Amino acid sequence: MRTLLLTTALLCAAPTAFAQTVLLDDATVVSASGETTTTDMIWTDGKITRQAQTLSAPDGAATITGTWVTSGLFASMSSLGMTDIGSSGSGNDVSSEDSPTSASERAADSFNPRNPHIDDVRRRGVTHAVIAPRSSGGSIFAGTGAVISLTGEFDSVLNDEAFVMINLGETGANRAGGSRAAALRQLRAALDDAEGFFRRYSDGPDGGDVLSRQDARALRQAASGDIPLMISADRASDLLAIVALKDNRPELDIIIVGAAEGWDVADSLADADIRVIVDPLHNLPGSFESVGARFDNVTRLRDAGVDYAIANLSALGVTKPSSLAQHAGNAVVSGLDWSEAFAAASSVPMDWFGVDASTTVVWDGDPLEITSAPIAVTINGVEQDMSSRTMALRDRYNPTSDDTRPYKYR
Amino acid sequence: MKHLALTCLPLALLACQPATDTNTNSTSDDKAVAFASTYAPQPSTDVLLTNAQIIDGVSKEVREGSILIQDGRIGFVGEGDVPDGVTELDMGGRFVTPGIIDIHSHLGNYPSPGVRAHGDGNEATSPITSEVSAEHGVWPQDPGFDEALQGGVTTLHILPGSANLFGGQGTTLRNVPSRTVQGMKFPDAPRTLKMACGENPKRVYGNKGGPASRMGNVAGYRKNWIRAAAYKAKRDKGGDYDRDLQLETLADVLDGEILVQMHCYRADEMAQILDLAKEFDYKVTTFHHAVEAYKIGDLLAENDTCAAMWADWYAFKMESYDMIRENVPFVHAAGACAMIHSDDPNNVQRLNQEVAKTWADGNRAGLDISKAEAWQWLSTNPAKALGILEETGTLESGKRADIVIWSDDPFSTYARPDTVMVDGAVLFDRATGLKPKSDFRLGHADLTEAAQ
Repeated sequence: MRTLLLTTALLCAAPTAFAQTVLLDDATVVSASGETTTTDMIWTDGKITRQAQTLSAPDGAATITGTWVTSGLFASMSSLGMTDIGSSGSGNDVSSEDSPTSASERAADSFNPRNPHIDDVRRRGVTHAVIAPRSSGGSIFAGTGAVISLTGEFDSVLNDEAFVMINLGETGANRAGGSRAAALRQLRAALDDAEGFFRRYSDGPDGGDVLSRQDARALRQAASGDIPLMISADRASDLLAIVALKDNRPELDIIIVGAAEGWDVADSLADADIRVIVDPLHNLPGSFESVGARFDNVTRLRDAGVDYAIANLSALGVTKPSSLAQHAGNAVVSGLDWSEAFAAASSVPMDWFGVDASTTVVWDGDPLEITSAPIAVTINGVEQDMSSRTMALRDRYNPTSDDTRPYKYR
Repeated sequence: MKHLALTCLPLALLACQPATDTNTNSTSDDKAVAFASTYAPQPSTDVLLTNAQIIDGVSKEVREGSILIQDGRIGFVGEGDVPDGVTELDMGGRFVTPGIIDIHSHLGNYPSPGVRAHGDGNEATSPITSEVSAEHGVWPQDPGFDEALQGGVTTLHILPGSANLFGGQGTTLRNVPSRTVQGMKFPDAPRTLKMACGENPKRVYGNKGGPASRMGNVAGYRKNWIRAAAYKAKRDKGGDYDRDLQLETLADVLDGEILVQMHCYRADEMAQILDLAKEFDYKVTTFHHAVEAYKIGDLLAENDTCAAMWADWYAFKMESYDMIRENVPFVHAAGACAMIHSDDPNNVQRLNQEVAKTWADGNRAGLDISKAEAWQWLSTNPAKALGILEETGTLESGKRADIVIWSDDPFSTYARPDTVMVDGAVLFDRATGLKPKSDFRLGHADLTEAAQ
């Protein structure tokens, strides 16, 4: 990891954060697995030129103490780049109430890499993310999700068919017509449609039990386990229904999103090799499907050997996962080791989704502390712009500014 | 709870006091008040907290010293005469702060579980519903109250929703275990009126007779203030008049007896509302949400109007698009009364983190605000904006002993309240496991705890 960091930093050509030679005194370097070591580093024009246990600042160089150097964070559930403002209507492509399609709708087709929220999320150390649609209408199938890089460049979709997103639980029940039984029936029938694709649809587009031909085709990769099925569910019995599905179809690669009552069936999830994405701040019985929600859910899942990632699954946390580090930090209070919490918001889900990128984030303190923030971010050797729309507003209205021009001219 | 007696530590001593449900004595002399408060503090022990790092909500520095709690009130902060027989508790350098006040909460009126039958927060049947009161929609068994207490929240202001121009009266509650809302009502706290600007009223009523635009919103306010002024004139004259709850609330605002708490996002709109208040001679106490307050910090300071804000919520609708993470510190730096608010059953459990977030970014932007000063956004300024600063919100002699003892620096993600006192009574104590448990949690919560 350290070599990787050095390589990355040496490639940095256009530094913005460190425009001069700087000694990073006692920088805490975090490995991919979250382990920390302390070292001194000298940055010259944005590159690490030396790294050793003890270094002294070159002539004229500033010294910064207390920095942390990590890889980038990974938002394992988001709709980043799919919505300008959250209210429904234009500017929000997360769901499609009136469309005739479901599983075949690709988040990548809605994604706008120039969406201004991406800059704000990247500024908080998030370099990569999953993007997923939300189900609507009469289908439990939300669509096909993608994996993106947060460079803001037009080539930032890394995988446009990364997984298929499904909503079960209360949401799925509502979509399927009113009951969990209907939702599970729709899911099993859809998997049959995808599996028997060539047979069922040979005579026309309406040969499936529940899916149209295009949706069945889109589900094929997930039905055969080539890409994950991402399923949202919280109630313990719903999680066990997913375990049963996996028992019947061991080829499925399932990731559960939510899993608020996962602690109650943690051993079953571990045995079934089902991975989970959890929000460590979900502790309220917000609905009857999460009456067992508790802060230490993630710790208990870990104890049972479940493979887990951490996300902010609140509505705002999904649209703009800026506060991912805050959620990971709070998991430490619930009992995760710091290294586990950090990895669960970075390298663990990055591996799950096959992201092969070198990333570096230099923070002004412990990245899981609420008061810390990145001072530099690089993705594949390219130092990222740290400006954003909210920063521009901040600078225009900063009370410490001595600019006396009218605001619109600043 | 069964093992509590075995593990009574110094603070647990306080927690071991027999507790009763708070619904017996009224501390209010005003018998005319409808649905009067029956709040009575839980039993407490006189105690001296020594060796504490004290954030008192007033001074700009963290002070080291002791806090005397006597008869549920604060005796002294720092140093002072300690009466005989007072138990001394060594804080071991832990942080001690005022209890947090959330000025914008829907705990109880949009409770957990969030089933449709629980949606009692907004009488969205007319743009003018100033006749309703949030207290009549609060379910005291909302498990969110208990979780908020464990996050250090000792006082809450529950508001009606924002669909209406005049949404109804808000209510200020002690965050205490009670079977009734009356048992939670903050004695003698001023009543409040929720009003709303912008997108919500015109969205909800646009196809139901209006308002359908911001123009219609302002016309709706003006039309009803004119009605209210006429009602007030009739009432002031004395004699017989037909009592009208809708206009009574508005007339009470004009009489200065009800504080206006107004949902408003955009800077230009807040400026319009400040002029509206001048036209009808009333005061806007607080703008809530106020995502663009940083653009008009000077106007807020001139008008002595507070702003209650999030740290980083934005772009969930158009009027919340221009958020900056420095909103709270920028408004503070302009000399206006700034504070954090939650409007959320999750963030209310971590308002200290929300303040830490915005404080750190404010200082990154060039401000120099100390942690002790920033604490005002958590308790002092919300108390001021609710008209209860003489009773709570700071650690000062004579005030209610609403106190949080923290495991660590409350500006750290890793800090949690160890002990929370309301009126000197320990209502949450991590070491002993003392905590309130809603009726709704029974069965569910017992199951989860048995699994431990």
